[in-house]
Amino acid sequence: MDNSEKSIEEKELELKNTKSFWYADWSFPIIVGLMSAGVFAGTSMYFNYGTGAFNEVAFVAMLKAGMTGGSYGACAAFGASFLFARILEGSLDGILDLGGSILTGVGLGIPAILLSMNIKEPIKNFPLALLTGAIIGVIIGFIIYAIRHFTLKQSSSTFGADIMMGAGNETGRFLGPLIIISAAQASIPIGLGAIIGAVLFYAWKKPITGGAIIGAMIAGLFFPIKV
Amino acid sequence: MQVLIILVESLIIGTLVGLAVGIGAARMFNAPTVQALGAFRTLGEMNASEGDPASHFSFGLGFFFNAWASTVAAGSFTQDVTHRVIPNWAATLLMLKNHDEKEMQDPKKMGIAGALVGAVVVAFLNLTSSALPQSLQITAVKVLVPAATLLINSVMPVIFWLAAIDGGKRSGIFGTVFGGLAQLIMGNAVPGVVLGILVGKGVDESGWNKITKIILIATILLFILSAFFRGSDLILLKQLNVGVPAWLQQIHAAIGG
Repeated sequence: MDNSEKSIEEKELELKNTKSFWYADWSFPIIVGLMSAGVFAGTSMYFNYGTGAFNEVAFVAMLKAGMTGGSYGACAAFGASFLFARILEGSLDGILDLGGSILTGVGLGIPAILLSMNIKEPIKNFPLALLTGAIIGVIIGFIIYAIRHFTLKQSSSTFGADIMMGAGNETGRFLGPLIIISAAQASIPIGLGAIIGAVLFYAWKKPITGGAIIGAMIAGLFFPIKV
Repeated sequence: MQVLIILVESLIIGTLVGLAVGIGAARMFNAPTVQALGAFRTLGEMNASEGDPASHFSFGLGFFFNAWASTVAAGSFTQDVTHRVIPNWAATLLMLKNHDEKEMQDPKKMGIAGALVGAVVVAFLNLTSSALPQSLQITAVKVLVPAATLLINSVMPVIFWLAAIDGGKRSGIFGTVFGGLAQLIMGNAVPGVVLGILVGKGVDESGWNKITKIILIATILLFILSAFFRGSDLILLKQLNVGVPAWLQQIHAAIGG
């Protein structure tokens, strides 16, 4: 990071700016509020139309499991513990991790908790989803603001967030091969499509998950399977 | 009609998220003086492009295709939309004019550029995904649901469990105990293992202080309550071949568990 070494005058300039909306700590809750409103509403769109969730396929699949009659427990605990760990960490190192806190915590964990308690309205209703997300975000922003301002920076624990993130990413890698396996079980043309797509993506140095899904879907377009 | 609703909702969401991502990312260049919102990988990658708009754009494009595939197939944007596509494309927009790296460190400019990019990207992803023909969606469901089921029920618990064990003695012990109990009570070990890592690593790194004690107690309470409301206690007594006492059944009937 060469910019941390950059001149002192630049830092002074920044400090002068810390009073303005764009740099100040007080505006941080508003920014998190905007972010959370969008992401929570994205989950609302996913709930209503099956598209628009701001997260990895593997993580969204946990919410899907709850939506299709299973338990929301896994999703709720996964999202909530991420949120918790990232809030503590974010206030300490100055960067609130977007993926763990907002995308996974607010986008999946909190909706899963609400849905498991059978509170559907804030997720179903789009304006209400925006509002709910914004309120949650502002609260999170304030918690971080408070931790930054009123506590000594004594604890440096990340509560194992790095381990969870590592495991989460590792899980995502498993999805590619699993999709080829289940495509192969759906039908031979779809299986072949998934294989070709995955190989092309691999050769193109992209995660094979996307290629496998697209390949399977193109094959399914020409050789549809009966429901 | 539904297309129109999706378009409008996507534009709202994209603008909000893009604005926040842009401001958050630009503020990262000033962290920890200024509290930022983003990710360390985003910071590193944006520095790596060295102020060249073309490399910012192509970096974002690679992830955009992956996000598109994932959205079309499963309705999930991937985290790359907020971590990589929006920040890098917003930076591209700003640097088109004068190739100045400073531009992307200005929260105001990045926020506005991010909002524009976000609105376009989110609307594009959602519209193309919702315009899919029926037969494609059936294939996607037929292929994705079994894969996701396998992932959630077998792969994820195992990976998280092994990560907990590799994370050290405490997270291994708490992860195993809570993971096993979670599988019994909630039907999936992942929440338990995650909480185990949280407690174990928390204690490893900061000792038995107020925060870690509260987390442990809250976790235990969570397990007791879920066991009660899912009737795990009744099932346990039945499977131990011990009769269920009437008072316990009355409590369950009274509270509705």
